[in-house]
Amino acid sequence: MTDVTIVVGYTANEAGADALALANRVASAAEALLEVVMILPSEARNALVPADAGYERYLREQSREWLAEASKHLGADVASKLHLRYAESYAEGLVAAAHEFGASLIVVGAAGGGLLGRSRIGSVANELLHSSDVPVVIAPAGSREVPASQGVTRVTACVGTRPGADALLESAIVLARATKAPLRLLSLVPIDLPHGLDPELVALTSTVHAEEVLDEARQALPDGIEATVETATGASIEDAVRALDWHSGELVLVGSSRLAAPRHLFLGSTAAKMLRELPVPMIVVPRTTRSS
Amino acid sequence: MTQTNPSQPPLTEATRAVDSSDHGISKKGLSAGSVGLIGAIVIGISCIAPAYTLTAALGPTVSEVGTQVPAIILLGFIPMLLVAFGYRELNRRMPDSGTSFTWATRAFGPWIGWMAGWGLVAATILVLSNLAGIAVDFLFLAISQVVGNPEIAGIAANPFVNVVVCLLFMLGATTISYRDMQTTQKLQYWLVGFQVLVLVIFSGAALVEVANGNAFDATPIELSWFNPFAVSDFSALAAGLSLSIFIFWGWDVTLTMNEETKGSERTPGRAATLSVLIIVSLYLLISVSLISFAGVGDGEYGLGNPDIQDNVFFALAGPVLGPLAILVSLAVLTSSASSLQSTFVSPARTLLAMGHYGALPKKFAQVSPRFFTPGYATIVSAVVASVFYAVMRFVSENVLWDTITALGMMICFYYGITAFAAVWFFRRTWFRSVREFFFTLLFPLVGGVILSVLFFTTLIDSMDPDYGSGSAIGGVGLVFILGMVVLLTGVVIMIWQAIKRPAFFRGEVLSRASAD
Repeated sequence: MTDVTIVVGYTANEAGADALALANRVASAAEALLEVVMILPSEARNALVPADAGYERYLREQSREWLAEASKHLGADVASKLHLRYAESYAEGLVAAAHEFGASLIVVGAAGGGLLGRSRIGSVANELLHSSDVPVVIAPAGSREVPASQGVTRVTACVGTRPGADALLESAIVLARATKAPLRLLSLVPIDLPHGLDPELVALTSTVHAEEVLDEARQALPDGIEATVETATGASIEDAVRALDWHSGELVLVGSSRLAAPRHLFLGSTAAKMLRELPVPMIVVPRTTRSS
Repeated sequence: MTQTNPSQPPLTEATRAVDSSDHGISKKGLSAGSVGLIGAIVIGISCIAPAYTLTAALGPTVSEVGTQVPAIILLGFIPMLLVAFGYRELNRRMPDSGTSFTWATRAFGPWIGWMAGWGLVAATILVLSNLAGIAVDFLFLAISQVVGNPEIAGIAANPFVNVVVCLLFMLGATTISYRDMQTTQKLQYWLVGFQVLVLVIFSGAALVEVANGNAFDATPIELSWFNPFAVSDFSALAAGLSLSIFIFWGWDVTLTMNEETKGSERTPGRAATLSVLIIVSLYLLISVSLISFAGVGDGEYGLGNPDIQDNVFFALAGPVLGPLAILVSLAVLTSSASSLQSTFVSPARTLLAMGHYGALPKKFAQVSPRFFTPGYATIVSAVVASVFYAVMRFVSENVLWDTITALGMMICFYYGITAFAAVWFFRRTWFRSVREFFFTLLFPLVGGVILSVLFFTTLIDSMDPDYGSGSAIGGVGLVFILGMVVLLTGVVIMIWQAIKRPAFFRGEVLSRASAD
């Protein structure tokens, strides 16, 4: 067993089932410890309705049942624990749980209503993406249909020139190693330039630039890690994402925005668009990981 | 399922494996120490919602007891306090989201327990529709004050517009409640502070107008206003009291906030005492000043005028405050809005408990997995309250008035049962200490007896077609019909459920028990 710990924020609905299935699949592939956490609203935040010990107890019992029920869907090979935690907000509770368990990944479900197989960020995931200092993955709707046996078939790291790329690469290597999956380095440079530039100039500079970035990234890889490289091209991010091939068992890593405070996540516009388009789960990595 | 300790059923094997971080619960869940003295007072005042309560109840109370409203307010507090003591003991011993339903079932068995739950749900649904109705009036009043066109306030009288807007309010409150959206504590402090301040200004202005001789019907304040024996007859006294039960309804929550109040053990008691002192002073101040300003005659602004009695602030804010009347509209609007939100919680939680224990379909026990609220029960309460309001708006000549009177009756009904449940549940421990003698026997017993007397007196008197607002169907008072329809519907549904779900009614789910 590796010493990787994954926290999954579980809710007893489809989004929760998606998160649980994805977490289970990754944990199984990475031989990671899975901490299944339900975050209950803390009555303390309530300024209007007096706390009710009876209802509180009812919720606790109900949540225990939900967790016990959820644990039946976990693979026999996955080491897991079930937890209830209270927090003023869901995101805050999950980040606290990730710290408590020393987790290196938080898994949550997407809000309903996304196009088939694609993530739509809900308010909860959004808050998490803006506040977490631990990598976060949003399980796209339908993740529960992917069997755990599929494992992680490839890890794709989207590298750019921005700060955060180091942490991103590091996380991608850890993940690829743990899951024994091949690594793919993907340059987003050509599609990650500001709007309004001359398209031909963009095409020229960006392709050259992309090569450099990928080369640099490949050289940064430790010995024994091989990676394929690819450059995303297309008129828009949507086009670029569609033009690339994706495994259904793939995991994609992107760095958080340069607007993010150091060691916190913040989804940049490129990443946000990718999240909408990607048919596979996307992990958002803070600019500097907490441990390093 | 017989348990030695009804408050803590054992965990099932399946759920025992869950680490629930007990340190986390004491820290976060039912956080000991989350609510300070001021927080507890704010919750107490916002649950009573004095601005809303008074505008709805002052008129009907004046119509029963005339100038003796202050006496009735002081007197009405007594049964409420006595019952609240029993409530607190039960809540301490058997905390359960079903409150009156669960406690009465434990003490008296499934049938009475079911009816107590029904009474609670009916009362809260009545108040929900009344709250939304008041909010509609004040919304149009506020708009008319802002744009300076008094005709807009009159739009609220159009039943179709009124019902549609009311349903929109209901929809908003349901969404907030379902999604468990919270106002921050700070905002809540401001809202409550604003509400209290406006009520003080309102009364102060009324008294100043009286002193300046500009009052509508200046009535000199007399000591007899505080004398309950000056009320003409017992029926009027009972009717007035059952209304004043309503104005203190909600205050009892401060007494039950024992676990989560911060600071010393004395905090909950002090919070309850202080909030009730604030509330009683406010009520006395407003009733005295408005009676003194407008009198109890039936002139245009007289509190005895049936046309304004269902919503007196609506009529009096303008004459008293002039251009500042908008403050009253805002205070009542915010007061109704917070109250709408906090009131939604109790029928939903009671229905949830009834579903959980098999007294209603299992669906009622559903908790929203995302918001951790009783989702299904919340929606059902909202739909019933909306339909009820829509029907009443067309049936009754004076929907707000009649619902308030019927509400007082329902509160007496289920609070009365709750009080007796406390007495009976603690029957083996009555004489264990002086404290237990007072809090589990004497106080709830006297409170329960007073409430039952009020309930039956109101029920009998309300058969008179002239009772309350004077709405009648077939020569029988509408309030009586309303009360009977509500209670008998409860009985019919109970029998239907007993056939479909016999386990609960055989006492197999919640057994009778007593404290020992």
